[in-house]
Amino acid sequence: MKILLMGHPNVGKSVFFNRLTGANVTESNYPGTTVDYTKGWMKIEGGDVEIVDVPGTFSLDPKDRAEEVAVAMLHENRDAKVISVIDASKIERGLYLAMEIIEEGYPMVIALNMRDVAEDKNIVIDADRLERILGIPVVSTVAIAGEGIKELVSRLKEAKPVNVDDIIANAANASDTTGAADAGGAA
Amino acid sequence: MKLNTGERWDLIDRISKETVTFGAYRHTLKDAIGELTVKPMTGIPVAIAVMYGFWSVFGSFAGFFTDGFFVRLFDAYWLPWLQEVFPGQGEWLYAIMVDTGGIESGEFVLSSNCLESFGVLTSGLFVAIGVVLPAIIIFYLMLALLEDIGYMPRLAVLLDTVLHRVGLHGYAIVPTILSLGCNVPGVTATRILETKKQRFIMMTLLAIFIPCGAQIGIMQDVVPDLMGWILLYLIIGYFVFGYILNKIVPGKAPEFLIDVPPYRRPLLSNIGKKVGGRVRGFFVVAIPFVLLGCAIVGVLYQLGVIQFLGDTLAPVFVGWFGVPKETAGPLIAAFLRKDLAVAQLSAITMTPYQMITAVVLVSIYFPCVATFAMMLKEGWKELIGSLAVLAVVVFTYGGLIHLIGILLGVA
Repeated sequence: MKILLMGHPNVGKSVFFNRLTGANVTESNYPGTTVDYTKGWMKIEGGDVEIVDVPGTFSLDPKDRAEEVAVAMLHENRDAKVISVIDASKIERGLYLAMEIIEEGYPMVIALNMRDVAEDKNIVIDADRLERILGIPVVSTVAIAGEGIKELVSRLKEAKPVNVDDIIANAANASDTTGAADAGGAA
Repeated sequence: MKLNTGERWDLIDRISKETVTFGAYRHTLKDAIGELTVKPMTGIPVAIAVMYGFWSVFGSFAGFFTDGFFVRLFDAYWLPWLQEVFPGQGEWLYAIMVDTGGIESGEFVLSSNCLESFGVLTSGLFVAIGVVLPAIIIFYLMLALLEDIGYMPRLAVLLDTVLHRVGLHGYAIVPTILSLGCNVPGVTATRILETKKQRFIMMTLLAIFIPCGAQIGIMQDVVPDLMGWILLYLIIGYFVFGYILNKIVPGKAPEFLIDVPPYRRPLLSNIGKKVGGRVRGFFVVAIPFVLLGCAIVGVLYQLGVIQFLGDTLAPVFVGWFGVPKETAGPLIAAFLRKDLAVAQLSAITMTPYQMITAVVLVSIYFPCVATFAMMLKEGWKELIGSLAVLAVVVFTYGGLIHLIGILLGVA
């Protein structure tokens, strides 16, 4: 099995990679630290799993060489699972890339990383609800502190491809229920 | 099924409405510090302070270990001991490995220090371990701190306007600063620039004008009082030739958009890992090259190749650049390691201004072999282009520096 760590620049992919594989790829606090991919191995339930630290990209429509590497990596590994690492304080645009990858049919789990930074900014995310809408595992993490990594690994097996129509339907249902609750607040 | 951009954003809007609550924005201390270091009025003084602090810690740390410890160890114990026990004094193997020595009033005399001995086991080891290693360690330690705190993107924002003049943008500061450690990761980091034009300009400027940490370390040791001039010539060259390249290289230099990350408290474990990894890289990659470079130059000396080259190229060296013809030897070594080349220059007798010119020449002339290989990997067309620019720069800039010296009456 192969797992790709994908997400925007500077969301912590390399930190996950080092945590998961025990490797030492360079981690820094600026976008663009990783410009080439690195592969490593980890054991999950006795099996060897290959993990790839992919350079950060904003979308699947590359605008520099590092992003080209990222998109090529995804497209060369049609059978891979994706851990989509999202900066919880910038969740919407993180979801944009995640959606693009989901639409291409990749099984995915989402790591809502930097929960601490989001909390600092007073942003609260209902991860369970997000999980129900998307239909894939969503785990809150603080990768540099190691929080949530175990849960993320244990839920990798639940990663599965989802149909965008289902997500649209789930989102509509969810807003119906809130709509009922706060008397038609959401149209 | 695939969505188009609009549909995708609509869906995400709906999802985020259901799952995310944005509380009131609180202005935290971190935000306040973040703003102070980005706004030009306060940010520029902070940047100058940070750079000055970097420089003085670098200088005093490296100086403390090199002059306070390694110079004594190597010159007082290691060199005399090797001169004593290594067999075959005066023969070619002795000359290459330990000491080429010198002739004084017709007699063979041994060198008194590790910079003059030119031996693989003496000069080579001294340069690699005694001078460059402490410099590399402190450089990477401080670089890791700046990286992990999150200062680099702020520096990028501050320098954006200036770097636009040379066809780049603020983010070019990242490859530039990485190159001050070693040009190899600097070249790879050019991948974060958007267009071919920017990547070409960046790579060329790095290879020509940015001295690596090893070279800065040795300069700090052997020509500390000339450092200012040397760096000034390199910085001026970076901007002047960047400006020219920007005018003549076709292509676009777009604006840059960057997320400035929040400041974070650096994790000791991560700093340790990064510095450890980079220093290990130095041991594995650089030290063999220093020793090899030392050996090759030693052999070429023994065979008379360097004297021959020096004599042949004397008109260029003496007439055009205004440096002694013995500079030919270090320039050959410079292809393998620039730090070694600077060390060898320091053993040649010349005036301070000739030394400035020679060290600048070593810096701007051919990239070291590791950088060369990395540039080749990034694209052979760009490499050939960079080398063409380099040839022009070496001749015009080298001559210009000589001319400035003549006008100032020091050359």
